[in-house]
Amino acid sequence: MILFDFDYERAATLEDAVAILARLQGEARALAGGTDLLPSMRMENIKPRLLVSLGAIEPNEPEMLADGSIRIDALSRLASLENSSLLRDKVPMLAESAHVVGSNQIRQMGTLGGNLCQETRCMQLDQKHDYQFVAPCFKRGGDCCYPFPRNKRDICWSVYMSDIAPALIALDAEVEILGEAGRRRIHVEELFTGNGLKPLKLGQAELLRAVFIPQRPRGYTWGFHKSTVRGGLEFGMAVIAVALQIAEDGMTCADARIVIGAVREAPVRLAAAERSLKGVVLDEKRLAQVAAEASREANPLPHHGFTKRHLMDNIRVYLRRTMAQAIGRARSPER
Amino acid sequence: MGIALSDLAKGGVAAKTKSRTRLISLCVNGEWHEVAVKPRDMLVDVIRDAIGLTGTKASCESGICGACTVLVEDRPVLGCITLAVECEGKQVQTVEGLADGEKLSGIQEAFLDQGAVQCGFCTSGMLMSATALLRRNPKPSRQDINKALEGNLCRCTGYNSIVDAVLQASAQGGVKAVMK
Ligand SMILES: Cc1cc2nc3c(=O)[nH]c(=O)nc-3n(C[C@H](O)[C@H](O)[C@H](O)COP(=O)(O)OP(=O)(O)OC[C@H]3O[C@@H](n4cnc5c(N)ncnc54)[C@H](O)[C@@H]3O)c2cc1C
Ligand code: SF4
Ligand code: FES
Ligand code: FES
Repeated sequence: MILFDFDYERAATLEDAVAILARLQGEARALAGGTDLLPSMRMENIKPRLLVSLGAIEPNEPEMLADGSIRIDALSRLASLENSSLLRDKVPMLAESAHVVGSNQIRQMGTLGGNLCQETRCMQLDQKHDYQFVAPCFKRGGDCCYPFPRNKRDICWSVYMSDIAPALIALDAEVEILGEAGRRRIHVEELFTGNGLKPLKLGQAELLRAVFIPQRPRGYTWGFHKSTVRGGLEFGMAVIAVALQIAEDGMTCADARIVIGAVREAPVRLAAAERSLKGVVLDEKRLAQVAAEASREANPLPHHGFTKRHLMDNIRVYLRRTMAQAIGRARSPER
Repeated sequence: MGIALSDLAKGGVAAKTKSRTRLISLCVNGEWHEVAVKPRDMLVDVIRDAIGLTGTKASCESGICGACTVLVEDRPVLGCITLAVECEGKQVQTVEGLADGEKLSGIQEAFLDQGAVQCGFCTSGMLMSATALLRRNPKPSRQDINKALEGNLCRCTGYNSIVDAVLQASAQGGVKAVMK
């Protein structure tokens, strides 16, 4: 139950929704599946005056465009992504990353746009505050930070936990953003500020409209892993997305994109690890060495009870296995 | 229904915005209901308190446990994080809609046969998730069942009897009724 009053309007089109958001000047929020927003409102971390429902806008099915890229409506439910035969066939990493989000009910309700625009999370933040007799932290407008008590500088080290964003960045995807001035397109990577206090580079009246995934290059292969304690209904302790391009010889790595999610204020792209994979033959020793360096490069924030050491170990082991999985997939006949 | 639910629950919280109460109609288990709701009223509260169907439970009220699962347009959703206004004009099915009069549905019988109900708090949500699964996939594997029920927590049974019940209801053989 949400204990404050707010108003509600249903937008007929995404343009309508943008107009309403613009009119309310930051006091309104878009409501897609509500699976992230409504719990935050229940905890009173977010208190909008008005919700603009996107629920009446029918998303288009994912489609392949003439240039081989794929367009996915931002309003698509996650369940429709994990079950889409086009996505499972062409970009299985994306279908897999949607498949591991939350629970079936969350995937039936939650949308792609909402998943990308979800709030960053912190154990201290994500609880009901009315019976918690503590002063608000930086993220809630206060002047302290509970998990990092020596942090006195108005910095928030909450983590961004989307499972899908790392996969999209590894796939070099772009998002189309609709605002009052029209549309603009940026790489998914550029959507994030890296600041836990304001994680997204989106204006008050801007909404995601679609995600575009470029055609996969020749020799493309992928690996994806979400580390959890239980294996279901859980945010990741670390999420690993790997896209490799294997050269004609079947041995050398021509290109690599490695992204780690759920360990910092934004998904982290491991540029140094990517460079050290390029142009080399990928044997086990090499993978182990790159994974060890990469776990330092990822520089995870301790979160949800996991220490930095633990998360680095987790990334080291699972990144190596995920890269090996990607290579194995390239060598086996059915991708 | 003259007053909205949240008026009753307001307690001492001062409202910042005065929101409009609206009349919405929704079809629950084949019957249309007109209810007065405020934007902040959740579907589970409207089903329980305004419509009076208390089979659907509210427990964590934050989208985690699945006790509040109902079907909206045949999709299993969480009533505790769904605004009732979002369901205007929609078809909702709750656990009360599974039985045909006194005759229980196959999945309900299977839950009894397997002893898959202990305290019963999770049961209505489990039944709705299982019903949605069997409609979409009449012959699920054990793994399919685990995945479909991952959003429904049970503190009593240890889950095995529940998975067995879904297998039994899917008539694939291999599970014997233990409570008969
Ligand atoms: C129990 C539970 C478990 C979860 N587990 C996971 C998990 O494992 N992995 C994971 O990634 N997430 C998880 N989530 C978070 C969330 O449910 C999902 O990320 C979901 O995809 C969010 O989508 P939504 O449509 O429900 O978003 P909403 O709640 O509707 O919106 C979230 C935010 O995005 C904004 N927004 C929505 N649509 C758009 C748009 N088109 N353009 C711009 N902004 C938009 C909203 O204004 C809001 O600020 C979980 C949530 C719960 C409650
Ligand atoms: S990390 Fe951010 S959300 Fe968590 S307590 Fe510190 S300021 Fe608050
Ligand atoms: S009460 Fe809705 S998920 Fe727990
Ligand atoms: S039977 Fe008690 S919670 Fe499942």
